[in-house]
Amino acid sequence: MTEGRAGFRLRVLAGLVVFMFTALTTRLWFLQVLASEQYRKEANNNQTRTVDVLAKRGRIYDASGNVLVDNRESLVLTVNRQAAAGHEEEIIFQLSKLLGVSPQELANRIEDPRYPVYWPVPVAVDVPLRVVYYVSEYAADFPGVEIAKVPVRTYPDGSLAAHVLGYLGQISPEKLEDPTFAGYEAGDLVGVAGVEAVYEHDLVGTEGYVQYRVNSEGQNLGEIGQRAPAAGNDIYLTIDVPTQQLAEESLALGMKAARGIADAATNAYLKANAGAVVVMDPQTGAILALASAPTFNPSIFVKPLTNREYKRRFGHTQNYPLMDRAIYGQYPPGSAYKPFIALSALEQGLVNETQNYACPPTWTTPYNEDDPNARRYPFHNWTTADLGYMTLARALWMSCDTVFYPIGYDYWAIYYPPSEPAREPLQKDLMASGFGELTNVDLPSEQAGRVPTAEWKREVHRANPQAFPEGGWYPGDFVNMSIGQGETLVTPLQIAQAYSAIMNDGRVCVPHVLDEVRTPTGVLVRRDRLRCTHRLPFSQQEIAYVRNALTQVPQAGTAAAAFVGFPFSQVWIAGKTGTAQVNNKQDYSWFAAMTNAQGKEYVVVALVEQGGHGSTTAAPIVRRIVEGLYGLPQSGFLGDSGTD
Amino acid sequence: MDLVAGRAYTAERRPIRHLDPVLLAAVAALAVVGLLMVYSSTRTSLNALGMDPGVYVKKQVAFLVIGAVVVPLMAAFDYRFLKVYAGIIYFVSLALLVLVRTPLGSSVRGSQRWFGLFGFQFAPSELAKLAVIVMLAALLSELRSRELSLSDVYRATGIAALPALLVFLQPDLGTSIVIASMLVGVLVVAGARGRQLGVLALMAVVLILGAFQLGLVKDYQIARLTGFFDPQNDPQRTDWNRHQAEIAIGSGGLTGRGYLKGTQTNLDFVPEQHTDFIFTVVGEEFGFVGAMGVLLLFGVLIWRAFRIALLSKDAFGTYVAAGIATLFAIQVFVSVGMTTGIMPITGIPLPFVSYGGSSLLTNSIAIGMLLNVHMRRFT
Repeated sequence: MTEGRAGFRLRVLAGLVVFMFTALTTRLWFLQVLASEQYRKEANNNQTRTVDVLAKRGRIYDASGNVLVDNRESLVLTVNRQAAAGHEEEIIFQLSKLLGVSPQELANRIEDPRYPVYWPVPVAVDVPLRVVYYVSEYAADFPGVEIAKVPVRTYPDGSLAAHVLGYLGQISPEKLEDPTFAGYEAGDLVGVAGVEAVYEHDLVGTEGYVQYRVNSEGQNLGEIGQRAPAAGNDIYLTIDVPTQQLAEESLALGMKAARGIADAATNAYLKANAGAVVVMDPQTGAILALASAPTFNPSIFVKPLTNREYKRRFGHTQNYPLMDRAIYGQYPPGSAYKPFIALSALEQGLVNETQNYACPPTWTTPYNEDDPNARRYPFHNWTTADLGYMTLARALWMSCDTVFYPIGYDYWAIYYPPSEPAREPLQKDLMASGFGELTNVDLPSEQAGRVPTAEWKREVHRANPQAFPEGGWYPGDFVNMSIGQGETLVTPLQIAQAYSAIMNDGRVCVPHVLDEVRTPTGVLVRRDRLRCTHRLPFSQQEIAYVRNALTQVPQAGTAAAAFVGFPFSQVWIAGKTGTAQVNNKQDYSWFAAMTNAQGKEYVVVALVEQGGHGSTTAAPIVRRIVEGLYGLPQSGFLGDSGTD
Repeated sequence: MDLVAGRAYTAERRPIRHLDPVLLAAVAALAVVGLLMVYSSTRTSLNALGMDPGVYVKKQVAFLVIGAVVVPLMAAFDYRFLKVYAGIIYFVSLALLVLVRTPLGSSVRGSQRWFGLFGFQFAPSELAKLAVIVMLAALLSELRSRELSLSDVYRATGIAALPALLVFLQPDLGTSIVIASMLVGVLVVAGARGRQLGVLALMAVVLILGAFQLGLVKDYQIARLTGFFDPQNDPQRTDWNRHQAEIAIGSGGLTGRGYLKGTQTNLDFVPEQHTDFIFTVVGEEFGFVGAMGVLLLFGVLIWRAFRIALLSKDAFGTYVAAGIATLFAIQVFVSVGMTTGIMPITGIPLPFVSYGGSSLLTNSIAIGMLLNVHMRRFT
């Protein structure tokens, strides 16, 4: 059987065999030579189990070393859905009796979609010891149920400075993708609001671990390595506990007083259902107090929350207490904007310091030669009285709208000539004063407010033609802007920053809450460096002129009623009221003050939503805070004064 | 003078002078490797159970002794007698395959494929593989025409299909695949044309689809296959097993982690490691170099089988040797292929290396038959 045909066919078959062996060799080359490193790692991972040891999160202190956020150990009961598979109903039934929580509620907590199925889901925090003993004794009846000692946050002052401190929550899927969160795992707690979020990487520390060698059954064959956890660094804030308490208390009392005052425009009591206060050191931008009402107690977030609970506590019916209105709320500033309009107009030469201007009850847009048929619109002052002629300074402290309307109109008439390209010096000056831009405060979710421009209006109109039916930029836009209305929006923090610059001869500082970062043993890691990088685009003389004009506001101007009996000889104070009109709402009440006494300077800003006139609600709040700051006797809340 | 099949021949043609020492050396080397690997893969589990860590090795030595007796026994008589008794051998093995389905057979892990005999287990499917080779060789060597007709191909297919089906029902998918492959191997050597093989392939596809349709394929078999093609859907952890096998082999690297030092092996991460997955021990502890060494030994074995097929005096010997060459080649390919992830997991032992008496016995008989053909190439 050696003839050619069979020999050939045998070679064909042998060829097939060679092909099969070549395939095996290629595959082995790939596995053992090219990809060996990876498989070696997998083999090592296979035989080791790593148990994470949580690091203690850094504490948060106020400026004088009072603890604002601390840690304590809590017994947490977790359920691993994968391990509990097939026994969920018995487990839920038993745990429901032990914990006194309804089975439905427990089922909701266990089915928390934020956790993968193989991950232990915390279903009860601060579990009583009796439950711990029971579950350990009858462990066989509770597959997948474990009790873990977990460090949790504790807040010695309750809700104090809640918006600044923030709270912890499950890491979001987006953050897990974020390279700055490398090393975090699903289910890890991270700061999701306030300082906890901004300084997460300082606070978090380094997780430790214990490594065991295991076989394929997962049996522990002994410890092979460990790393002790390193506690996170401590954060020292510029927040001052007594000042923060003073601010929150004054805001709450002021709002409560406002709710007893009738609003003439709506024939109802003022709602005064939300507000914000900022207390700042104008020289440095350090925030001493930042209050937002309504507020919340961050310890709520230590416990698991269902979606329903979350909505009930923090939703619309509660007026969104999680929102930090001092940095996230965007409001028309009303007359609190006028000092910056005045500064820009002085700088642009539209007005001067000595001339007298008329303050009639109504100002009407003038006749326009280029457009003889244009409608002429009337704009009213806040009072129907004719206040006669006055300087720009008096117009500021009397807050005369009809002096500012023609200034706004001039910006249109001069800088929007039909033949030349438009220029917008007013917007440029306002933006240089910090409006329409983020202050870059070290808190999350800050809003930029808005300085409307012709370009912006055109864009909005293009995107949504119903928004501004005409789409163009008109004199009325500038007229409205001159009294802080129209499309202008600011945050309370921006107002505080801008008034600080007036107080500070034009230096604009970045507001901040961080003072220092220190290791757990107290060694300084870093200190917040002063960032007063730019200046207001106005001269020293112009700034001094406006600052001096504002000293008359509490003494003889719109806030005089709120400052009756205030010791002006002891405390230098200047300020400005604002009464902002918001569609379908009662007026929003503003007051911004600058003070200097006893060698200490402050800027205090208060805003109360639907709080009526600036002098009615915001000014008394600011007065009470200023009195507290300088240790003056507190005057309490006096009632309505009815001035802007 | 010797008298075999009634013929006389001279001293230099005496079969005993024409043993194939290369073939025997390769087989002996594989058997030694097998003992080392079986020890490595069973030592830790046996220790953990408080048993003698050498118990599997000792049993395997006993099997090897039996094998060492069987090889000369199978080489002693003229292989052409097998052609005479091919029909009887074939039908006896079919009968055993049927009997094993009755209460006489015993079931291990859901698969009824064993006879218990004097404390040893014997699988008739092992014998069936050889019976098919002999029967095919007998049939095809008797054909008068030079070209295979389609009906010849059908008859050959029928011969292979019957035991393959019985084995498949046990269920033992792996052995069915081996029998089918041997059919193709023998047909190629016997001169089947591409078109005829194409028709066979088509029938195979129809049969397999039909088997799935009729629910003849067990769930775990489907799971193994779907686990191979779709690792996400793997309820039986088949893919996990395959991945563990890949980790074991891949982590061996170029030169291995050293004998008895493989963590995958020691910590019991690879299933069935002393039997079907034994190649993972080679890969992990001796690396690419060791794996290539073992493949080289098999290469030598198969090369010798082909050489014997070529040298055979008659067509029957050629077909028997070619069938056995295919038998070894496909077992090595599937066994190594499934541990490296290029073949679905079907559970085929690695010849002479894996622990187990039945497969060792069959493989020894096959070696004896190869020697037999080689020794009598001049007579």
